[in-house]
Amino acid sequence: MTLKKLRIGLVCPYGWDTPGGVQNHVRDLAEYLIAKGHYVSVLAPVIDEEAIPNYVTSAGKPISIPYNGAVARVLFGPIAFARVRQWISNGKFDLLHLHEPAIPSISLLACWAAEGPLVGTFHAAAKRQKAIFAIGPILEPVIEKLTARIAVSEAARSTLTEHLETDAVVVPNGIYADRYRDGEVRPQWSGNTLGFIGRYEEPRKGLSVLLEALPIIARFAPDVRVLVAGPGESKDVQDQIDPQLRHRFEFLGRISEKDKADFLSSVALYIAPNTGGESFGIILAEALAGGAAVVASDIPAFDSLLGNGEYGALFQSENPQDLAKVVIDLLREDEKRRALAQRGKAYAQRFDWDVVAEDIFSIYEMALVGSDGVTLSSENRAWNRFLGREGN
Amino acid sequence: MEKYFLFALLAIFALWYLSYSATRLDRLHHRVETSWANLDGLLQRRAAVALEIAKSELADPASSLLLTAAAHQARDAQMQTRSQAESGLSGALGLLLNDGHLVAGFIEKDLLRELSELTDKIRVAISLHVDAVTRTQMVRQKPVFKIFRLAGTAPLPVTYEFEADVL
Repeated sequence: MTLKKLRIGLVCPYGWDTPGGVQNHVRDLAEYLIAKGHYVSVLAPVIDEEAIPNYVTSAGKPISIPYNGAVARVLFGPIAFARVRQWISNGKFDLLHLHEPAIPSISLLACWAAEGPLVGTFHAAAKRQKAIFAIGPILEPVIEKLTARIAVSEAARSTLTEHLETDAVVVPNGIYADRYRDGEVRPQWSGNTLGFIGRYEEPRKGLSVLLEALPIIARFAPDVRVLVAGPGESKDVQDQIDPQLRHRFEFLGRISEKDKADFLSSVALYIAPNTGGESFGIILAEALAGGAAVVASDIPAFDSLLGNGEYGALFQSENPQDLAKVVIDLLREDEKRRALAQRGKAYAQRFDWDVVAEDIFSIYEMALVGSDGVTLSSENRAWNRFLGREGN
Repeated sequence: MEKYFLFALLAIFALWYLSYSATRLDRLHHRVETSWANLDGLLQRRAAVALEIAKSELADPASSLLLTAAAHQARDAQMQTRSQAESGLSGALGLLLNDGHLVAGFIEKDLLRELSELTDKIRVAISLHVDAVTRTQMVRQKPVFKIFRLAGTAPLPVTYEFEADVL
C-alpha cells in the first residue's frame, strides 16, 4: 500500500512457546509484516529464551493463572512492567499493536505505559461475567487509550461491547490459504472418514460428543472411521471408547503442516464438535481452505464463521443425535458434500493473510494519522509538562 | 499526627487522580480531532473521485450532473450540513453504480477500484470517529469531569449521523 516502512511493536500476552491461537496469529502477522519490509518487534513472555526467533523480545517467564475457565500462561508484575517500558522506549515504534489488552498481562501493561498510536485486537469471546463490574472502572481508562480496536469475530466484538461498552472493527484471524490449497489425497485417510484436529483431551473441544454420535453413524455407514490428530495422551480417551468401536479410531498425534493439508484434502468430513470457549475457530478456516466439507457445532463463533451454515453444515451443540443426523446426511449424498466443500474453499480465501493483513494495515494507517510515534506515557503527563520536564 | 499524614496522602492521591483524569480527557479530545481529520480527508478524496467519475465515460449526462452537484455540495458543506451532504453523495454514487451497466475502459475500472477501497476505509474511519465521540461524551458526563470542569473550554464533540450502510 504505502511505501513508508513502519516500526511496529506487537505485544503477545501469552507465553510465546506454548501453543495457542493468539500466539500463532501474532507470529504470522509479524512474519507477514517483516516480509513486507517493515521493522517488527514482538514482546512476549518466553519460557526458553534460547529458542526464539530474533524478532521476539522476552519479557520474562510466564506464570500460569486460571482465567476464563482455562489456564492462561501470562506475565505481569513490576519487573515485567519495567521490561515493557524499556522495550517501548528502546523500540522507537511508530505504532504498537496489543493483543488481548483486557486481561492481566503485558499487553495491558503496555497499554498503560505507552502513549501514541495504539491498536488493540480482542480475541476472546466470553459470557458476561460479574467480575467485570469490579474491574471495569479500572480497565476502562486504559482500554480507552487504544486508538483503534479490532475484534477477530462478531462474538469477540459483542463480548467487548457488553463488557467494556466500546465498539470494534471486525477483522478475522488469518491463515496461509495457499499452504492448504494443494493437499494430496492419501488413500489411508480417505473413504468414509471423519477428521478431527485439536487438543482432544480438553472437554470443550467436544470429542466426547463425536464419541456419543458414532454408534448411530456406524449403523448407517458401517465402514466409518474417525481420524484424530493433535497432541495429547490418547490412552485416556481410548479407555472411554466403547470397545466395539475402538477399532474405528485412529490417533495420529501431532501432525506437520504438510500432513495437515493432506489430511484436510483426504477426509470425507471435518468435524468440529466444540462446546464453547471458542472465539474464532481458525481450524475451521483452515479446514475450509483445505477443501474439507465441514460439520461444526452451532456455537456463535462457528455459526458466524460458516455464514449460518452456508459454507459448512451446523448441528446443535452438545447434541450427538443431531450431529449423527447431519453426518449421515452428508455421507450419503456425495454431490451435496462436494458442493459444500467447494463453496467453503472459495469462501476461505477471505481469511488469507494477503487479505487480512492488508485490512489490519489499513487500520494502522488510520491510527497513525497526526501522530509522531509511540512514547512512554509518563513523559506526556500534564504535571511533567507543568514542571517543565518535556519528554524527548 | 497520623491523621495529617493520612490527609496529605489523600490530597496527593486526589491531585494525582485529577491530573490523570485531565490527561485522559485531553487524549480523548485529541482523538476526536485526529479521527475527524482522517475521516474528513477520506471524504474529500471520495468527493474528488466522484467528480472524476462524473467526467468519465461511466456517467450519462443526467447522472453526471447529479453527481457533480452532490460532490460539490459535499465539499462545500458546513459542519452542520456535512453528514447530510455526504449521504447525498453516497446516494448519487449508489444510483449510478448499482445500475449494473458494464464498465468499459481501463481508467474507469481504476476509478471504481479506488472508490471501493475508499469506501472500505471510510467505513472504518466512521466507526473510529463515532467511537471517539461517544467515548468523550460519556466521560464528560461523569461527575468528576463536570465538577472540576476538566474539559476546560473544549466544545462537546458532536455526533454525526453517518449512515454507514448507504456507502
